[in-house]
Amino acid sequence: MMHFPTRRAILGAASAITLLATTACGNVAGGSSDSSKYPNGPVNLTVGQAPGGSTDLIARAVSEGAAKTLGAPIPVVNKPGANGALASKEVAGKPADGQNLLLINASLITITPLAVTPDEAVNIDDFDIITGLSQDDYVLVASEKSGFKSIKDLTSAGRNITYGTTGVGTGSQLAQTVLFKQANVKGTDVPFDSGKPALTAVLGNQVEVTTIQLGEAMPQIQAGKVSPLLVFSEARNSFLPDTPTAKESGYDVPVAQYRAVAAPKGTPQEVKDKLLASIQDTLKSDAYKEFNKKNMLTPKAISGEEVVTQWKDYAAKYKALVEKYDISLAGNK
Amino acid sequence: MDFLNPVINGFAVVLEPMNLLYCLIGVVIGMLIGVLPGLGPAATIAILLPLTYNVEPVTAIIMLAGIFYGAQYGGTITSVLLRLPGEASSVVTVFDGYQMAKQGRAGTALGLASIGSFIGGTAAIIGLTFLAPIVASFALDFGPAEYTALALLGILLVATISSGSKTKALIAAALGLLLATVGRDIFTGENRFTFGSLELADGIDFVPIAMGIFGLGEIMYNLEERHRAAKAPSAVANVWPSRSDLKQASGAIGRGSVLGFFLGILPGGGATIASMASYAMEKKRAKQPERFGKGAPEGVAGPETANNAAATSSFIPLLTLGIPANATMALMFGALLIQGVTPGPQLVEQDPGLFWGVVNSMYIGNILLLIMSLPLVGIFVKILRVRAAILAPITALITLLGAYTINNSMFDVTLVVVFGIVGYLMKKFGFEPGPLVLAFVLGSLLESSLRRALLVFGGDPLGFFSRPISATLLIVFVLVAALPGIRSALAKRKTTVPAQTAATEIKEKV
Repeated sequence: MMHFPTRRAILGAASAITLLATTACGNVAGGSSDSSKYPNGPVNLTVGQAPGGSTDLIARAVSEGAAKTLGAPIPVVNKPGANGALASKEVAGKPADGQNLLLINASLITITPLAVTPDEAVNIDDFDIITGLSQDDYVLVASEKSGFKSIKDLTSAGRNITYGTTGVGTGSQLAQTVLFKQANVKGTDVPFDSGKPALTAVLGNQVEVTTIQLGEAMPQIQAGKVSPLLVFSEARNSFLPDTPTAKESGYDVPVAQYRAVAAPKGTPQEVKDKLLASIQDTLKSDAYKEFNKKNMLTPKAISGEEVVTQWKDYAAKYKALVEKYDISLAGNK
Repeated sequence: MDFLNPVINGFAVVLEPMNLLYCLIGVVIGMLIGVLPGLGPAATIAILLPLTYNVEPVTAIIMLAGIFYGAQYGGTITSVLLRLPGEASSVVTVFDGYQMAKQGRAGTALGLASIGSFIGGTAAIIGLTFLAPIVASFALDFGPAEYTALALLGILLVATISSGSKTKALIAAALGLLLATVGRDIFTGENRFTFGSLELADGIDFVPIAMGIFGLGEIMYNLEERHRAAKAPSAVANVWPSRSDLKQASGAIGRGSVLGFFLGILPGGGATIASMASYAMEKKRAKQPERFGKGAPEGVAGPETANNAAATSSFIPLLTLGIPANATMALMFGALLIQGVTPGPQLVEQDPGLFWGVVNSMYIGNILLLIMSLPLVGIFVKILRVRAAILAPITALITLLGAYTINNSMFDVTLVVVFGIVGYLMKKFGFEPGPLVLAFVLGSLLESSLRRALLVFGGDPLGFFSRPISATLLIVFVLVAALPGIRSALAKRKTTVPAQTAATEIKEKV
């Protein structure tokens, strides 16, 4: 008795799969010629970081809003690995039909190439950038025990200072190594896996200062456990208006994390327009504005072309800075 | 008494019907995924994160927390019955739990584990309630130097956990240490053993190794051995342990609660390390350590108590400091942020309803789990009645699906298969897989902490002794390392002077 329905179920499932496979093939073939049908089923938004981090949260907030106007679900797919290079390479290799998108971090384009071999570096030209999203500022914070209340305290301390970074090839590392060189302060670079352990090390006085993203540092700044010395953005951050920028303090090291939505190179213009419209709607919504505020993100909804120009400019600037001060981001060899 | 007011108000939050329902959903899901090897609480919470958008923050976290500690209960069941740890934190339960099942005492093992889990969990919640406000300074004193000492101690304990050949255990541990070096050097960005593969750039994930070696390897080995293998116990009778079993295990449960509680608080610690440490501790303390690995009730009760206590206490650094102690807590952190709540030092004061609501929900959850786990054991046992030829492919499929869900990566699935083969060959040639997996986990912690500590100390190794906690841990390390030598020296003296033996034994009892 048991065998008959089981077999029928298997046959049914098998034919359903065949049918799905055939339709899917048809879509791929017809995708580029007839993009008016876009979106054709769910649009995957790949994130190169683990769930729970700020990049992931941004992806989820964007997907939640944009799915409504786009008329298709936008599942967020986390594919952590190699700072996000793994996810980037995978999405770049997908068909350019707008069904696979990537939430991309600027540091992957602007900073990581300074620390890894050329064949591991991600090239922004492999993507069509749909739109910029937001700016996430880095703040230099000092432990209570260090006694540093301003950047002057740090530069005039006249001793070797241990600084935590969020890892090799990150904005945190670049910003601090360049700052220390420009200020002519001796420092020891202590890499951590991410922002949270670096902050913990400052809280526990294991290192004296660290540079992490503002959203991560804010609760401890407000609690008075760490002192913000400066922000690395070009202008002061609206969430931390009393903290000077590196530029104001006389250091030329503008570093921030920017995020954008990208599609594989060669995505049809119509598809890009549809995506842009639905993402822009989301970015204008009150819910998303509230999300930005909660996570201390500064909105930066610039066009795809502007993203490419700005990121390339930063990449060139960082390369020049690193060469000028003879810095190796892989400095502890 | 002012201190207790918010605690009591927290109970009002938990007893709202919606929160009670989500607590129940959470622990049931936790129990289920605990039983399924591969799909761990971290993966499950990640998958369910989007579902929590639309509920109240407190409700969401109550459910997610339920998944986490529920999994600690569920993970035991497959460890005992199938020799397949449902969770990494139940790995050591396999050693004695499965042996007990083979002796027809599966019910006792599961009963002891449930009771231990309940006591450990409840003790940890009580501890959490009183310690949360003062624990902040203690947790932060753990820096790179302390982790180095802790990892060293852990690796030393690996050797004592292995049953069977010490040489083979060392070889397996060395292989584990080697595997831990794979990936981009986090200090220099240099690639090590990655062979140009981006997938290997972040190193090998712990989960595919554990799933391959313990999961697939075991399934394959069992398929080959199935004619000779002992039949699975047909029934789990008498889940209530006898008075003598309880008496035997009560010390282990007590010690496991305390040990688990403290190891759970430490960032980087957690349920897995707690269960391993508890097992090692029980084995060290036992008068007849040779009983371990052959069905010692303490070997089940201790680790199971400790992993639940640690699972609960790992909420302390998250909720009081905003610092996730482990991967699952990092997901909880993400869930809180999605809800617009930033965990940190101010959480207890600013949002007492959430803080105490979540903490107090764990009392309810643990009671639910105790009620569920004893009768539900019967249902899970039925899985064992299915023929191995049917069960094996299903388990393998669940394992591979689980491997895929963690990072949505086919590469991880390949890794599981590769390590499945490694695990099979290791079993076949008499190598214990335990030391490999444990050394792998501790290897990367040891390396990064040691290098970080040396950077902070400016390259001076004496710095480790300048910090009280790391110095103490290192002294403990030396003592533990020297203990077997001292013992055997003592034993030699005992044999020459038999009269002393009785006196020493009485001393040990006290």
